[in-house]
Order: sequence, then C-alpha cells, then structure tokens
Amino acid sequence: MKKISLVQIKANNKVRVLEILGGSNLESKLLSMGVYKGKPLIKLSHIGLRGPVVIKSGRSILALGHGVAEKIIVEQE
Amino acid sequence: MIKKIYLIGNPNVGKSVVFSRLTGVQVISSNYPGTTVEIAKGYLSLDNRKVEVVDLPGTYSLDPTSGAEEVAVSLLKELPKEEIAVINIIDSTNLERNLLLTLQLMEQGYPVVVCMNMCDDAGHRGVHIDFAKLERLLKIPVISTCALTGMGIKLLTERIKEAASVPGEEITHQKRWLEIGKIIEQVQRLEHRHHTFREIMEDASVRPVSGMLLAGAIIYAAFKIVRFIGEGIITHITDPVFFNLYQPVLEKLSSYWEVKGFWFHLLIGDLIGGKIDFKQSLGVLTTAPYIEFGMVLPYVVSFYFILSLLEDIGYLPRLAVLLDNLLHRLGLHGYAVIPVLLGFGCNVPGILSTRVLESKRERFIASTIISIGVPCVPLQAMIFGLLGKFGGFYVSGVYLVLFSLVIILGIILNRTLTGYSPEFLLEIPPYRFPPLFMLWKKLYFRIKGFLLEAMPVVLLGVCFINILLYFNLFDFVTAIFAPIIQGLFGLPKEAVVALVIGFLRKDVAVGMLMPLGLTAKQLFIGATLLAISFPCIASFVVLAKELGIKGLIKSTLIMIGISIIVGALLNFLILR
Repeated sequence: MKKISLVQIKANNKVRVLEILGGSNLESKLLSMGVYKGKPLIKLSHIGLRGPVVIKSGRSILALGHGVAEKIIVEQE
Repeated sequence: MIKKIYLIGNPNVGKSVVFSRLTGVQVISSNYPGTTVEIAKGYLSLDNRKVEVVDLPGTYSLDPTSGAEEVAVSLLKELPKEEIAVINIIDSTNLERNLLLTLQLMEQGYPVVVCMNMCDDAGHRGVHIDFAKLERLLKIPVISTCALTGMGIKLLTERIKEAASVPGEEITHQKRWLEIGKIIEQVQRLEHRHHTFREIMEDASVRPVSGMLLAGAIIYAAFKIVRFIGEGIITHITDPVFFNLYQPVLEKLSSYWEVKGFWFHLLIGDLIGGKIDFKQSLGVLTTAPYIEFGMVLPYVVSFYFILSLLEDIGYLPRLAVLLDNLLHRLGLHGYAVIPVLLGFGCNVPGILSTRVLESKRERFIASTIISIGVPCVPLQAMIFGLLGKFGGFYVSGVYLVLFSLVIILGIILNRTLTGYSPEFLLEIPPYRFPPLFMLWKKLYFRIKGFLLEAMPVVLLGVCFINILLYFNLFDFVTAIFAPIIQGLFGLPKEAVVALVIGFLRKDVAVGMLMPLGLTAKQLFIGATLLAISFPCIASFVVLAKELGIKGLIKSTLIMIGISIIVGALLNFLILR
C-alpha cells in the first residue's frame, strides 16, 4: 500500500481516496460531487502531456484537470 | 398556498425537459452540464391558478461553489418556504450522487417533491429502483418520470401539492454520504451485465489514442455532412425555387416598371446585363432574400442539425476532455469548447454560454476569441459561396488565418491578463440517443430563432444601404477610410461600405463585396477582415452585457488593432 497522487497511478486501476490537498473550495466541490476521503475510485484514462484525468466514482464519470488530479492523494489496493 | 415552483437538481438531469413539459415553454436542452445559462420562467396551472415555475441552473449541493450554483441557491431564498414547492429532479441512472442535494433540501426545511427522471434509461442500464420504498424512507412524494416522452408528468403535477417539508438536523456532507449509502442499499438493485456497445464507445472516446482518432473522424465527418446537406438544399431546393419560380415573377414586375427611379432601385436594385442578378442587384426583393434563404439558411439548417445531434448524444464534454490540454495554453480549460462550437453557429449564443466558465478572465478570453476567430454560419456560408469558386485553397486559407489568430491571441492574453483560470472539473454524461422528434423540435426552435433575428436586420439593412447609396451619402465615410482600405489592405474604396455594413450583419456585408468584381486576393482579405473586425451588432450587445463596458472597450480595441495588423500583413507580405 502506497500513497500517491491520482496523476501517478496508471489507467484502469482501482484506488481509494486518502486525502485532498489544496483549498477547502476544491475539497467541498469534490465532496458535493461524491469524491471524498475513503471513497473508492477507478482511474479510467489520462490524456498525456499534463492533460486531464478521467475517473469513475460510483456511477459518475468525472474529468479532472491535471492540477486537480495532482491534489487527490490515493492509495492503491 | 404555493406561489412559486422551483425545479432544482444536479447538472444535466433533464430539468429543462421537465420544465418544457410542465409549462409548455420551449427551452433548449442538451446532454451536457450547464446548458441552462439564463433562468427560464413559465406558468403551470394548479387548482385553476397560474403558478410560476422557475428552472434553476444545475447544482450539486446547497453550498454553492460556482456562479451558476450561487444563482440557484439565492433564488430559492426569494420567498418564505411555506409559499413555494421545490421539485427536486433526479437522474435515475445515478441516484446516489443526486440524493445529496435531496437530503440537504429536506434538512433545510424546503417542501420537496422528488422527480425520478430518465427512468427508462435506468432500466436500459440495468438500474432497478424501488420507488415506493424510497418514498417511505424519505417521507416525501417520489414520482418516476421520463420527461422526453412525457411519462409521469401528469402524476407529477397532481402531486406537487403534497410537497412535504420534513426538516431535520443539518449534518456534514460526509455523514450525508453515509446516510445515502444506507438508502441506496435498500432501494437500488444493479443488474450485472456485460459492457454494451454504448459503454465501450463511452470509454473509448476519453482514452488518449482512441479518443483522438474518434474525435478526428467525428469532426471530419461532421464538416463533410454539414457541407453535403447544405449544398444539397441549395442545388435541389432553394436555387430551383429562386431561379425557376421567383426570378420570372420579378422579371415581369420589373418590365412593367416604366421609370426606374428610387423605388425600383430600393426594391429590385441594379439590372446586370438587363437582367436581375440575385447576387449583384442589391435590392430588398432580390439580393436580400437570396442571401438569407438561398445562401445562408441551408447551411444554418445543416449546421444546427449536426450540432444538435452531437449535443444530445453527449459527445461535446468528451471533446472537452481531449482539448483541455490545448485550451489550457490559451488560459481556458476544456469546457470552453462548448461556447466556441456554439459560436460557430452564431456568436450570440456562443458568447452567452461563456457563462459555463467560472472566472471573469476566462470569460473575457473566450468571448474575445469567439468574436475574432470564430466565424458564424452566415459568414461562413457567404465565404464558401464567394471564395469557393477560386478553389479550396482560399477558403481553407481564411480558416487557417483565423485559427492561427486564435492561438496567438490566446497565448498572449493568457500571459498578460491578470486573474486566474480555474482547473477543469466536469462530469461526463453518458451517451444518450434522444428520440428524433426532440431533435426536430430543437432544430425548428433554433432556425425560427435565426430567422426572427436575422430577417428584420437584413431587410432593413439592405433598405438602409440602398437609400444611402442612392443619395450618395456613403461618399463622406468612404472618403475618410479610403486611404486605409486602399493603402493598407489593397481593397477598392467601395469596400468601405461593406466593412461598415459588417457591423449590421456579416452575411449582407460579404454580399456587398459580390458586385465589386474583386480579385481572389482582395476577396480573401475582405472576408478575413469581416470575420475578425467588429462583431455584428447583435454580438456587440451581448458582449456589452457579458463583459461590461470596460471589457467591451478592451475587447473592441483588440479587434480593431488585430484587423489592421492582419489586413496589412496579408496584403503586403503573405499574398504578394
């Protein structure tokens, strides 16, 4: 088990959110969309060259800008 | 007593479709978050009373994190809670995410009715929900609907009165999610099934390699189909009507005209080789209808058909993901692709929809880029009609110039403007295949909007031009600007009139260039300048509204500066 950001994980991996860095605004926004501490996610894809990361959270598909994905720290199971 | 009804829900759950069903007011709906940028209001009859219904922008929770969400929340607080009813619209395919807002609405004591929308789609996706049990657990009315077909809407209207307020203790979002988990376990059953073709395509369109390939194919096909349908309508419908039916009538009319004075000049215009020429006569009855119906309308129809199709399927947010990278360099993020694409239809809805972007800086960059580098369909149709005969080189040349301008300008604005551009955070909707009648309805709605907006301006514009030309009133303006137009841009001094008319409508302005007998190079420069200089008056008004006067002046100065530089560069360096 290791702590890394969503950006560093390879696509098609299941992870669990450990913490969300950055301002409380980002945290509350993600929280209201269903991404919070302890939530299991699947990373679907990552567009290269600092592009966005696409994740599946519950039944929602979310696209996160590179800067947002960097701030989501997860653990790989 | 209920005085107002609010529709609230997460983004892209079909609020606007439910709104249309309840009130009969037609509003545009699309399969991406943030379609509703202007608050729509309508009326519903409840116990023989007219009650106002308000369609709020989508929001994930009641503690707003974006401008649109703030608007939704502040509108909810307008009236005391006893005088309103809140219809909480939920996407049945994603009950879990939607319930957060429901719980929060209930905790704060709003009288709520839950409308479980898109329940047919939930069935297709193997999501089974026990609505009766959900109603028992929440203790408020739960109605399943499918707003697209109208199923359940009648029941919804009947049960609005039962909207119940069951205030509870306010808890944290974390606790709410736990609560929701328990509810979901009791009411939702997921059928396990293999990936359908639709799900495979949903996946492939956001992966780097397959996504880019698909995007390339889709954009290429969209462009080809728009041209194919547009040209098809022109050769098979509008041209035959104009040349075989309308022209003989006009020729007869003009031959009875004895003294060809002011009125003849105004209505028919100049005869070219003794005959009426729809492209060159410049009369209110000749060139004006031909430009709008014979050259522009066919492309408006085909463009909006393809755009509406892509919108309703839900492809645009996926394109946003793929283009996020590029748009980041311009100080925008992927979602700016929505206003830009709408801008290709008409700059007005494009600039209006920059509201999906959060910061003022992004909205300024996006609006300026749209006004300068995104030609609307009427302008594009005229460019094709005019430059097409000189070959594809010139037509693609105009696009190339505009595209390079957007990139250069975006990079400069991104480096120089203060403020921030927030990161991309977007929910990607599932692909949906709306019934054809929805598509027709939307197409009809948009074309009607186009005609109502364009026709009066075109007719009055041509009238106005003809009066000014007849009494030689343009000479003064021409004399002032002629040195710039001739010296810098290499255009004849008559082109001044066209550039000035560009402020009224771009299609008419290009039409003004038609009788001048310009060379390919002059037409190229003229058309490019019309695209990048002043936006037309309708866009100007929207720009003023969205950016404020200061922003408008800044944006306009940028446009004038760029027009002069680009016009001169094209004339002296590139097309020597």
